[in-house]
Amino acid sequence: MTTLLRASALSGGYGDDEVVREVDLAVAEGECVAVLGPNGAGKSTLLRLLAGILPASSGRVELRGKALQAWRRREVAREVGFVPQIVNFAFPVTVTEVVQQGRAPHLGPWRPPSPHDHAAVDAALARVGLSERSTTAVQRLSGGERQLVLLARALASEPRLLLLDEPTAALDVRHQLELAGVLRQLVAEGVGAVLVAHDWNFALRIAHRVVVLHHGRVRAAGPPPEVLRSELFREVFRVEVDILWRDDGPPTVLPKTIAKT
Amino acid sequence: MRRGADLALVAVLLAAAAAALVFGGPAATPGEALAVLSGGGSPEVRTIVLGLRLPRLGLALVVGASLALAGAALQALLSNPLADPFLLGISGGGAAAATAAYVLLPAAALGGVPAAAMAGAAAATGLVWWMARGPLGPSPTRMILAGVAVNAAASAAILTMLALAPSPRLPGVIAVTMGSLASASAGQVAWLAPYVLVPAFVLLLHGRDLGLLATGEESAAALGVEVATVRRRVFMAAAALCGGAVAFAGVIGFVGLVTPHLCRLVWGGSTRRLLPRAALAGAALTVLGDLLARRALSPAELPVGVVTALLGVPFFVALLRRSA
Repeated sequence: MTTLLRASALSGGYGDDEVVREVDLAVAEGECVAVLGPNGAGKSTLLRLLAGILPASSGRVELRGKALQAWRRREVAREVGFVPQIVNFAFPVTVTEVVQQGRAPHLGPWRPPSPHDHAAVDAALARVGLSERSTTAVQRLSGGERQLVLLARALASEPRLLLLDEPTAALDVRHQLELAGVLRQLVAEGVGAVLVAHDWNFALRIAHRVVVLHHGRVRAAGPPPEVLRSELFREVFRVEVDILWRDDGPPTVLPKTIAKT
Repeated sequence: MRRGADLALVAVLLAAAAAALVFGGPAATPGEALAVLSGGGSPEVRTIVLGLRLPRLGLALVVGASLALAGAALQALLSNPLADPFLLGISGGGAAAATAAYVLLPAAALGGVPAAAMAGAAAATGLVWWMARGPLGPSPTRMILAGVAVNAAASAAILTMLALAPSPRLPGVIAVTMGSLASASAGQVAWLAPYVLVPAFVLLLHGRDLGLLATGEESAAALGVEVATVRRRVFMAAAALCGGAVAFAGVIGFVGLVTPHLCRLVWGGSTRRLLPRAALAGAALTVLGDLLARRALSPAELPVGVVTALLGVPFFVALLRRSA
């Protein structure tokens, strides 16, 4: 498997406030890495650093073996699809118009979309199951559907790597399962994914490896069977959990009580 | 359907331009004006149509297109439907400097008013830029706050000068603060038309980037937009368009605010598609507004800014209700 993205001793944050500290992380083709951690652990910041949206204060990110700063922004955007948590739609736009924005990294300032661009947009809409709603105004969609539109926009650029910032935050159970199915399928096709999540059980459905962040540092990393320990939950999340291992599917984490300190 | 709307827009623009030449005022009848346009007519009527109405039409076209284009770009840049070219304080700076020029300059030097307005607009641009600058280019929130502050200071200065101004100079001050195309000349158009080309090109060049920026800086950066660069360029280009318009036509309200919304209703939400159409529609609206300003209470003439506001406000209210 070819490594798509590799972060080494990556640190960064906002001004003097270093939120992410010396994080090592790699994701390969056809691999999904879930980044988990309590609120404020630096998960979203790490994702921004990996996308190059936020400059690193030290350490290094390599995209396909080349330092991220050496890439042009548009070139990065063709390789990496970023699905933000929240997007502000100040003006009425249709679902298709939003998904078409995903083609922007492939288009110059003047060139109108080609048949291939339209095909990529249609394919992305079909994949998230929104073909029927292509002419609907995004403002009229539910929060969950909007999340799927943002995923479709990222997919429209036909990226090798997806960076997802809590994609399930606004999804009901059915949409969560649907999203998990779409992501598993993409990963099976060779797309790499870094998934920032709060929901362990969602992440465990897809992730090959788990990285647990605590105060900006990697507290544990590896395949779920190596990482899932009730002591970890007690120390990092301050909760007592039961971990249910199953033969026919991913493990399930059941929170019980707040841990006594 | 969009192709049809494009053709309709061009037709409206041409019809408005023709109407401005033919029905421009009582000094020449429509029949006489038509005779001039087909190559005939008396020398006096030729002077009225070609020497007065034509430059005025030219100025209305350039100023209207500038304001609507700058407005559409700023609405996207600031992700704010209420943004207009005057929000950033540039018009305030220009109008205050023009007012000062009207009040202070000797009568023989009043030709220098546009230059003063440009200088004022440039100073206001610099001030807002300095207040709003940040690591990702000028910050949208601080651009708006700085613009509001500069505009407030400018209107205080204008009102003070208005209170102290000698009365013969008042019409000039009103022309600046309410907008007027009455003093248009061929020389002004010859200066302004090439001046707006560069900023207009910059805004059209970044149409797609602006559409992405309207959904947030994080999203835009992830889709390949150099956020800081685009913000700087768009701010400067919009400021340049706004400064040029204010220097020669004063503060013509509502064109820059309403035209982009009107165009979105017809052509949808794509900013790249919106920008050139907003420019043409803004030109057409300003020409029609100026025609109404001349003819509604003829022979008296209203400031064009009054007419655009009177037309714009009901439309804007309807738009707000519709989106509610």
